[in-house]
Amino acid sequence: MANLATFDRNARSREARIRALLDDLVQAHIEARPLTKMALAVWYQKSPSSETQFLLELIVADGFDFKGFHDDRLSLLWKSGSEGQPYANVKVTSVDYFLDLLAGHPAEAAQYHEGTLEVLYFNKDLLSKDPSYSTLLDLFHIVTDPGGLMKGWYVTEDEFEKSSTVQALLSRRGSARPELGIVKVWESPDLEHCRGILHVEIQGKWLPLSPQGVRAYTYYADAQSGRRAYFIFEGGALYEVLRFEVKTAPEYASRFGLLEQAPDDRYPEVYLRSVRPPARPAA
Amino acid sequence: MIDTLKSICDQCAHLRDPQLEFIPQESQRQKEIILRDLRELIAAASNEQERSVVLLAGSLIEAALYSFIDGQSEYISQRRGEFTFHREHDLSSFVGIFNRWFSDLGRIPDIIVAYRNTTHINRELEFDEDICPRAARDLLRQLDALLGSLESYARI
Repeated sequence: MANLATFDRNARSREARIRALLDDLVQAHIEARPLTKMALAVWYQKSPSSETQFLLELIVADGFDFKGFHDDRLSLLWKSGSEGQPYANVKVTSVDYFLDLLAGHPAEAAQYHEGTLEVLYFNKDLLSKDPSYSTLLDLFHIVTDPGGLMKGWYVTEDEFEKSSTVQALLSRRGSARPELGIVKVWESPDLEHCRGILHVEIQGKWLPLSPQGVRAYTYYADAQSGRRAYFIFEGGALYEVLRFEVKTAPEYASRFGLLEQAPDDRYPEVYLRSVRPPARPAA
Repeated sequence: MIDTLKSICDQCAHLRDPQLEFIPQESQRQKEIILRDLRELIAAASNEQERSVVLLAGSLIEAALYSFIDGQSEYISQRRGEFTFHREHDLSSFVGIFNRWFSDLGRIPDIIVAYRNTTHINRELEFDEDICPRAARDLLRQLDALLGSLESYARI
């Protein structure tokens, strides 16, 4: 058993080291190509014990039309001047070319997205700008939102009092990036009340907030000091914040499909009540 | 009524009394820059200058992360095998490194980078007209929390 444990540690250690070296290479490429933007970097045909690793980089390069892949092979120890193993076979092309390949030659494209792979880097903003690009999120199994996540914004007491319609509140947000999210854990039968796990976007993924983290938000401070606070969500659901409560719930991560389990299983929950903007008297 | 910037500052112990022990001894210049900007931040907050607070607090989050990661490069290298700190990178990159290697200290959400980027008018216009007061308040609290966690890390 001790040998097995040692073997597992060694294998994990090698995988972590290879991942770190590939990460560094990707970061170096992001830095070295100021005229292009890295959209996705994938460690495909992943086999950490092999002498050669395979890296696919998809970039967005305005004004440059890729007609194929740019290939490179180098030692992953390039920084130290070594030319020894492990090696990386790097294939670089544009997102557009890759999507063409996917549509026209799916068998050839399959080698990059089938089998064991790990996404080392993705730029959610780039991959979300064009609807066709966002297919890559599914293709490479990049999950950025837990199921049922509602994304939205904080509405202050003052703004709520001045508002007349949900549409007005929403339109003021325009295309602004949502500030907060909740995954509902309970809802009353009449849909008037609900409780949700607070989420925040970190490196493109929506992850549960920590009990400490929530304290740094204005909506929390306002609610704790007795002010009314409201959340409006994409789609128009508008809620008043009733209170926050930290819950220890080891089952939450798997039960609600959270993208990350809190280290201590403690999640700040928000209690909400559905509201409508105050009615404006007719002029 | 929302909290005034001054009252938020009054509640933020790490902004009012920064220790900055996480900055290496040999990086005195960085410490002086951060202390200078913190003084100006407190002054701006005391005068309820929301825009100035957004600019200074965003810049200070970047400066704190820069100095901290710079001082921790060797530690990250030991953990991952190899690490080069690219000093010319920006806040987004520093946040990525911090969230990846120091998540135990708390993580910085993407919205903070978006608030900082409202330095550029095209980015500010993507938000609603209340973004400046909201960002100023969140940035103050996030900066205080960041300084607190970096200082407690340095004392371990």
